[in-house]
Amino acid sequence: MFGGLHSPRPLPEEGALLALAREFTPRVEATAPTPVLLDLSGLGRLWPTPHELGRALLDAATSRAIEAQAALAFTRGAALVLARACPGLTVVPAGREAAALAPLPLVRLGLPAERQELLHRWGLRTIGDLARLPPVALAERFGPDGPRLARLARGEDEGLLVPAPLPERFETTLELDWPVDGLEPLAFLLSRVLEPLCATLAARGRKAASLAIELGLVDGTAHARVLQPAAPSGEARTWRTLVLLDLEAHPPRDAIARVTARAEPTPARAAQFSLLDPALPSPERLAETMARLHAWTSAGRGGSPQLVDTHRPGAFAVSTFAPGPLPGGRREEPLPAPRVALRAFRPPRLAHVVLRGGSPSFVSAPGVHGAVAASAGPWRASGDWWDVAWSREEWDVALVLPPGRATATGGLYRIFLDRLREEWFVEGELD
Amino acid sequence: MSTASLPSDTLAPPPAERKRALEDLLRARRLQADGPPLRGEERRRPIPTGIGELDVLLDGGFPRGHLSEIHGPVSSGRTGVLHALLAGATRAGALAALVDPLDRFDPGSAAAAGADLSRLLWLRGPRCAPEEAGEKTLADATAAVATLAGSLLFDVVTLDLAGADRERRRLPATTWLRLQRLVEGAPTAVVLVADGHVACGPGGKALALEPAGLRWSGPPGPARLLAALAARARAGRHGLRSADLSLAAL
Repeated sequence: MFGGLHSPRPLPEEGALLALAREFTPRVEATAPTPVLLDLSGLGRLWPTPHELGRALLDAATSRAIEAQAALAFTRGAALVLARACPGLTVVPAGREAAALAPLPLVRLGLPAERQELLHRWGLRTIGDLARLPPVALAERFGPDGPRLARLARGEDEGLLVPAPLPERFETTLELDWPVDGLEPLAFLLSRVLEPLCATLAARGRKAASLAIELGLVDGTAHARVLQPAAPSGEARTWRTLVLLDLEAHPPRDAIARVTARAEPTPARAAQFSLLDPALPSPERLAETMARLHAWTSAGRGGSPQLVDTHRPGAFAVSTFAPGPLPGGRREEPLPAPRVALRAFRPPRLAHVVLRGGSPSFVSAPGVHGAVAASAGPWRASGDWWDVAWSREEWDVALVLPPGRATATGGLYRIFLDRLREEWFVEGELD
Repeated sequence: MSTASLPSDTLAPPPAERKRALEDLLRARRLQADGPPLRGEERRRPIPTGIGELDVLLDGGFPRGHLSEIHGPVSSGRTGVLHALLAGATRAGALAALVDPLDRFDPGSAAAAGADLSRLLWLRGPRCAPEEAGEKTLADATAAVATLAGSLLFDVVTLDLAGADRERRRLPATTWLRLQRLVEGAPTAVVLVADGHVACGPGGKALALEPAGLRWSGPPGPARLLAALAARARAGRHGLRSADLSLAAL
């Protein structure tokens, strides 16, 4: 037997009706906060008659300040429709579903508005009117939906009850008899918290996308941290390292009396590896390594360099280091010929440049000093006039260092004249 | 080299024959030097620079599990060789890391050299003048190199010390010994880039570069371009083996 439970008024909490239903049976179907459908099979031992069982359902709802109406029937469709339509308790004997549904207005079936309007234009007003139509004629007009509508109107079921999954809560708490001060003793305690948590996750085929750690301190406050690595992990050792590294950077103010770890679960990843392609790095190990380099990466000074779509010289961005699979055919592409590289000075070094005949003849800047032996330029460029404008004149200059420091060619540098500020700069060394 | 093939009756070969044919195929693949390496196999080969002359000089490239170095004065092509090394490694699908305490790396140059920037981890030092980049910055940089090499994730880990010669000399001499010990047995080649000789492990390669001239596109004048930078590379304990290389200008 099935039971439909519906509340015509707003619920005190969104899941209140579902929680109430779970007190009677674990097999509950709920696609919305209301109504919910209960599988009442086997409850006859506790409540001998359906009326007693229905009354118990309504009493439980009243005790929780929920205004509910219930319907018990031998088909799921009838139980749900009657629960929505009829106040109080409705009990339908076996085989009487169609008769119970027949006098109800058609709108109680919960059909889409356009379908509802069409049936109304046909002159159908009650569910019984729809049930009386020949299924074959309905199929001719509605296709596969026609017989389904007819079965629904007669209170017949199709499909099986799909129980709503129980809420999963991955949380472990450890209350300490004696508070601990410092991270070294905490390292051992973390294992006791994280290992059962990760075992629970593994048992459900899950990993943790993020981990919230809450340390209850002896002064009554809590020190909370949330760790969100680039890839989910289900390894207690990895999480322990990440937590310890994070707490090293953000230590608690006082001794710790309680440790709570709460994981945000996510399905475990499944990947098919190739025999020939290079292996992708282990996400857990990558997350651990990046956490160890926290001092470099936290200030935005560590990551993957990226070129940006602009002509402004030296423009780039740094993004999170998360290498993906190698694009197909990339390994077979030939590499370009080796090239001269720029070793940039950031910011460019202010320079004093002596010109002779329009070309630089002497350059002096911090760490760069010498007469120009050869040069190429000028190359003018400008842009971003609508924003922060820039305009420059570039030269590549080969310097002869002062006597005693001379090398075969001296240094080769890129210098430029900022035409807006009328100042010379050394952009970098060509190497 | 013998060419291995599956037996003609491939519909139902006996298990022993099938196993032998598969072993023959695998053996043939290993002997074929230019064939793509099998999964896991490539992490035993040296890391080539991608510059033919240098790879011959270095017996195939920079060896894994050892500390190697590239050194030379200003404009000797150190950075060009470094970018070629990073390009070769990242284009082959490996991960590379560059620890750059003086923040000198130019992503545009590396991309022009063919590097896959998404597979390159760049750690930039604090933003300051080179004279302010003290001993602590370099000590932090060597610690970062140790972390990266210890992670076993990266095929190449490079540390750019060029321009920080004075600060580098203040580091304890044992720094490099410890780094060499740490990288031993790892599938990672650690490469230092510096103005002069810093350290090279017993199995590592030291590549000394010196400038050998510049090539311009024409006589002095407005249309002239820098065409190439020539350098001479020396390798080996006493720099007895040498090769000339030319780096095209941007």
